[in-house]
Amino acid sequence: MKLELENLTKKFGNFTAVDHVKITMTNGVYGLLGVNGAGKTTLMRMLCTLLKPTGGTIVCDGKNIFEMDGEYRRLLGYLPQEFGFYPEFTVRDYLFYVASLKGICPAIAKKRVRELIAKVGLSNAANKKMKKLSGGMKRRAGIAQAMLNNPKILILDEPTAGLDPNERIRFRNLISELSEERLVLLSTHIVSDIEYIANEIWLMKGGRLLRTGTADEIINSMPEKVWQCFVEKNMVSDFMRKYKISNMKSEPNGVELRIISNEKPLAQAQSVKASLEDVFLYYFEEKAGDENAAV
Amino acid sequence: MLQFEIKKVFTKFKNKMALLFLLVTLIAVSMLTINRVEYIDENGGRSVGISAARSLRAEKNKWAGYLTKNALQQAAEEHAAIVNSEGALSNDTREQDLAYSRQQGISTIVEIINSAFSEWRDYNYYAIDGISIEDASNIYERRVSNLKKWLDSGEETFSKAQKDFLISQYESLKTPFYYEYTDGWSALLQNISTFILILALFIGFFVSGIFSDEFQLRADSIFFSSRLGRNRAILSKMGAGFSIVTAFYAVFILLHTAIVLLVLGADGANCPIQLDLWRSVYNITFFQAYLLIITGGYVGTLFAAILSMLVSAATRSTATATIVPFIILCAFPFLSRILTLPQICAFFPDQLLEIYISVKEFNLVQFGGKVMNVVTVITPAYLAACLLLLPVLYRIFKKAEVK
Repeated sequence: MKLELENLTKKFGNFTAVDHVKITMTNGVYGLLGVNGAGKTTLMRMLCTLLKPTGGTIVCDGKNIFEMDGEYRRLLGYLPQEFGFYPEFTVRDYLFYVASLKGICPAIAKKRVRELIAKVGLSNAANKKMKKLSGGMKRRAGIAQAMLNNPKILILDEPTAGLDPNERIRFRNLISELSEERLVLLSTHIVSDIEYIANEIWLMKGGRLLRTGTADEIINSMPEKVWQCFVEKNMVSDFMRKYKISNMKSEPNGVELRIISNEKPLAQAQSVKASLEDVFLYYFEEKAGDENAAV
Repeated sequence: MLQFEIKKVFTKFKNKMALLFLLVTLIAVSMLTINRVEYIDENGGRSVGISAARSLRAEKNKWAGYLTKNALQQAAEEHAAIVNSEGALSNDTREQDLAYSRQQGISTIVEIINSAFSEWRDYNYYAIDGISIEDASNIYERRVSNLKKWLDSGEETFSKAQKDFLISQYESLKTPFYYEYTDGWSALLQNISTFILILALFIGFFVSGIFSDEFQLRADSIFFSSRLGRNRAILSKMGAGFSIVTAFYAVFILLHTAIVLLVLGADGANCPIQLDLWRSVYNITFFQAYLLIITGGYVGTLFAAILSMLVSAATRSTATATIVPFIILCAFPFLSRILTLPQICAFFPDQLLEIYISVKEFNLVQFGGKVMNVVTVITPAYLAACLLLLPVLYRIFKKAEVK
């Protein structure tokens, strides 16, 4: 399975959401990392044939995906960021309905629905209405629908957003488990999700891919160093003005800072190994993740 | 897939409520229709409903048979005897009512004699009292001669071809009429248009969310990214819309018809509609008129529902789509009152739900030298429009992007 994006561009009026993206994907997990508004969702929607590109092409094993139409979507599983569902349907009904949309014959659908409900841990909630599920359960139902057709291409847009720490870990493990022998593209603005499961990471900003590579390659691509030091509380604002601070930890007698800088910020500062969180901050100039991202 | 699309519609709370309300409406409209049939018994007591229908049927069916010259004269004699009876001439209104209650068996015959001897535009309730018994037998000739007289009067604006068509239709009407109790059909036909309108609005409401709900529930991404999301799944949605329109229309119309006719009686299905609509240019029976009315109503309902689904797919708004049937079926009649262009108004889609009026009036259309009744044109025309709108609906939804 090979998916090639050739100068892929999407404009909405004068705004360019995706700007000449050129990349090739084969089997494996790809982590698309960027702040909100970076163009991740637009890129994914084009990959799911939900949006037509303004320019460029998406080619799957040599064929344009928009010409392949249903033949391409047969290979596709998609969990959108805003996962909509039919509130009055039970989980089982919902999955049977999506199975029919995917053209899966009823006998196979029955087996797949049963397997996936068990796999995502919804066996006890299979007859519950979708509107009665918790956020995490809805996401699990979402991943189950994406997996119904055993897709060769799995696209997950912010799959862990809004989940509590336990659900996040559980979900991450589930994605890892499902990622074998398929192409998985996972978008998030939560660095820890990507760090754990992605084979290759793409940093996206302003509709463009800034950096691509493994976690180590991305970390090594950062031209600045990371320092750790302990300062008094009244000095923090000075440091914040002067440096990029990737982390602050308050202690009773001061604050421990993690600083990204080429120069040593303080005589007693110690050089430490950069993390993907530091890289995120460096490139995007804002802190990664949401309130649960520390897990 | 089709069953899930239908399930989506009827698992919505507001649609469940609408269905309940529709059932209540069915009962209410059926009751109102049933109560149209009245009977005055020998004690002057007024009754409606099943007992009234039974008594009236017995009275009218005493006169059942072809309305030959002889039968018409007998009815006129009976009428004369009643109006000249002691009770009818009394000053006591109760006595008068009792006397006239004996006329219930021939009331329809008296009405058509009155119609035949009234001025074209004014129904004279007492016309029968001013003619001889022999004259009463000439109603069929009077029907044609009255038309010709009116057409020659210059009060109307029909073309020569239209006049010829009207005369030809009048002359080709099979006489003598067969007469029997027809009040069940008569009540049904007079009230069914209202029920069809209500039904069409409800059906439009049910189908209005079939397409837009995908967007409103944000289920569009998964729908369109699935293998059949841009082809068979759309057909399935269209199929759900069509099934809901057809099934609901058929079930509710049949229920209404069954309730009314079971109570009031289905006799007289093969009697000519002219027993009720004396001037009608349609040479059809009560049952054929019923078929014409429900066919027109079905096409009108289907048209409104398809337009509603089209707007639902194009605007992605269920609320906007819900308004469409109201505009088509309720705003157009209002427009017809403002516009003094009957040639145009006769083609408005609301006319499909007013076939009874069209059967009653002279609504004609002319293409070149060919003259036709408007019903025979608008019903197939709107059916064709429905068929033409389906591929448009399909394409609009197929091309939808999820932004």
